[in-house]
Amino acid sequence: MVDHLDTSVLATLQEVMEAEYPVLLDTFLVDSEERLRLLQQACRSGQAENLRQAAHSFKGSCSNMGAALLADLCRELEEAARLEQIDEAPHLIERIEREFAIVRILYRAERQRYGGLG
Amino acid sequence: MTISSQLSADGQELTITIQGRFDFNAHQAFRDAYQRADCTPKRYVIDLAGATYLDSSALGMLLLLRDHAGSDKADIRLINCNPDVRKVLSVSNFEQLFAIA
Amino acid sequence: MPRRLSILIAEDGAADRMLLAAIVGRQGHRVTTASNGAEAVRLFESERPQLVLMDALMPVMDGFEAARQIKQLAGNELVPIIFLTSLTEHEALVRCLEAGGDDFLAKPYNPVILEAKIQAMHRLRRLQATVLEQRDLIARRNQQLLDEQRAAKAIFDKVAHAGCLSAPNIRYRQSPRALFNGDLLLAAHAPAGRMFVLLGDFTGHGLPAAIGAMPLAETFYGMTAKGYSSGEILCELNAKLKLILPVEMFCCAALLDINLKQGMLRVWNGGLPDGYLLRAAEGERLPLRSRHLPLGVLDALQFDDSFETLPLAIGDRLLLMSDGVLESTSADDELFGEQRLLAVMDANTEPSALLDEIQAALHDFHGQILDDLSLVEVNMIEAEDAVAAQSPAVFPLGAPELRARDWSASFELRPSSLRQYNPLPMTMQLLLQISPLRHRAGTIYTVLTELYANALEHGVLLLDSSMKCDANGFANYYQERQRRLGELTEGSVSIELSVKSEETRGYLRIAVRDSGPGFDVQRALDQQYCAGCLGGRGLRMIRQMSERFYWEPDGKVLNVEFHWAAHA
Repeated sequence: MVDHLDTSVLATLQEVMEAEYPVLLDTFLVDSEERLRLLQQACRSGQAENLRQAAHSFKGSCSNMGAALLADLCRELEEAARLEQIDEAPHLIERIEREFAIVRILYRAERQRYGGLG
Repeated sequence: MTISSQLSADGQELTITIQGRFDFNAHQAFRDAYQRADCTPKRYVIDLAGATYLDSSALGMLLLLRDHAGSDKADIRLINCNPDVRKVLSVSNFEQLFAIA
Repeated sequence: MPRRLSILIAEDGAADRMLLAAIVGRQGHRVTTASNGAEAVRLFESERPQLVLMDALMPVMDGFEAARQIKQLAGNELVPIIFLTSLTEHEALVRCLEAGGDDFLAKPYNPVILEAKIQAMHRLRRLQATVLEQRDLIARRNQQLLDEQRAAKAIFDKVAHAGCLSAPNIRYRQSPRALFNGDLLLAAHAPAGRMFVLLGDFTGHGLPAAIGAMPLAETFYGMTAKGYSSGEILCELNAKLKLILPVEMFCCAALLDINLKQGMLRVWNGGLPDGYLLRAAEGERLPLRSRHLPLGVLDALQFDDSFETLPLAIGDRLLLMSDGVLESTSADDELFGEQRLLAVMDANTEPSALLDEIQAALHDFHGQILDDLSLVEVNMIEAEDAVAAQSPAVFPLGAPELRARDWSASFELRPSSLRQYNPLPMTMQLLLQISPLRHRAGTIYTVLTELYANALEHGVLLLDSSMKCDANGFANYYQERQRRLGELTEGSVSIELSVKSEETRGYLRIAVRDSGPGFDVQRALDQQYCAGCLGGRGLRMIRQMSERFYWEPDGKVLNVEFHWAAHA
């Protein structure tokens, strides 16, 4: 099974954030939902540059949080947008959405394991 | 501007050679050349063959050397002076203090 | 060592921002956060953080623009900006640098690398602050030095210009550019109608070079006013400079002792380029060469104060210059040189224009004003015009007025003292105590000089003044005088002074006696006027200048009296 979440990164995040760790995870999830909306919007409007920047940003965010596969997919989307291959975009975004769905569940489980509320 | 010095085999004579402009910038190097702790020569030879220019600070440096070498007892020769250098030395009548060749 | 800093984090992703704030906060720094470029600039203005972590891509205002504005607000101060970016394209990185970025940090954030970069940036910041501090310190010190120099120059100018440089027969050019330029020009009227002119050129530039000039000027003016001879003044100047100046510093100088009344020039040149005597008759040009070492090199015993003596006539001109004239360089690094100067002098047809022509030639040669050049021209105009109403400085400055006087003094000089000692200055000092006579000090000095010269040269040394009939005769006479004085073994000259006065009038009597064979004073006085014979002329001058002139029949004692009346 390919690692959707890099556990060593999560360990570092726990160490850094301490009690704020769950808050971080929540923030990331909310943040990411917004980013996904932005990706879809950019794709619909056909603006390659906006799409590239949004994908780049999301990629960075994911890598910080240890969501390695998701980050990789964003990188692919970023590259496609850079090469102005807009027709590739919808397919890639679909894959991103699917991966995010998985990652969301895993983060929620992580939250519970950590003993956070909600 | 470069200054080099050479002590004779018997340690009695120190030759200081000056290349380029003999002016205020030569101050430290010239002093170092004769203030070497390891020698107290009886005679000094200043070779000015390569000296392109001599100004009043150079004259001052020569006076310092003379003072260091015993003032009136000093034995200092200035050799290979080109016409310009010779002119400067002659206007200031330095041949009254130094042997000039 | 790690230092606590205040750090601004500008990052639009909420999770990333939170994470970064936590990392940086844990390292002990004080954190402020912004979520877009505009907020970042605002927060920078109000919080003035020491370091900024800036996300490159942000809404409202992107990181590049925010970075530019923050750098501008920071001004001279270094506020490091570390761009948070995974942008790898060359172009993007260039944009970061152009916007003022100092470093980059990629995602995922590595706390260790981040801390290392923060500390490195901090060290740079400290370095920049130190540089600015030192720059300000240097600027302040420099200003202090300039102010000190200005003050020193003001003092110097008062001393240096106490003389007669504004006399109608002197023209000079000194470049004003440097605050001090090491060149010194002094001129003073000496008693008995002489004029001394000194041009000095100290080694070096600026304040150190000019410091030697103050004691030189003071000595020159002081001794001239007191009636010392040019030779005595030179010896004293040399001794003073030898004492004050370090070994490697000296003063190239030329001294002119001009006696137009007697038609005589004595010149001493130690280290300056050739001066010139330009004769009115036949346009002859005589170089005044440097024959001595500069002042301040030899000690008193070895110093050579021998002058060159030349005849001088009305209409002649004297030219002196410092080496700045010959050594001035053109744009092609060529020296002006002696040949060019001589060419200008050869081409000159109107003597009064010579100084201007030389100046013009110099200006054309290098197209700008230079420092360190001095040119002085002394014109031998009519004797009466030259000696302006110049009363010598009053000595002593603070002495109380004496009303009634009644005293006498005499002293006798014998061979060893006659050889080495000039009693005239000391005698004048005594006589200057008599306030009613001070305004006639020049006259009294002239008379005293003549009496003493007569007693010494004719009475004791037995010289014949008819030798002084022509140019060569002059030189021979003074040479012979030196020789006989050096070999003198017997003889004496006495000077007797008596002063008597009441409230409304008084008199000074000077008697000069010599041990010589005496002479027929009346006959000498009556001798037909002859241009070359100064013996008779001198005696007639004494009679003219004093209220009473009488003598012992054998001519061995000559007396003069000066009277005064109703003194305010």
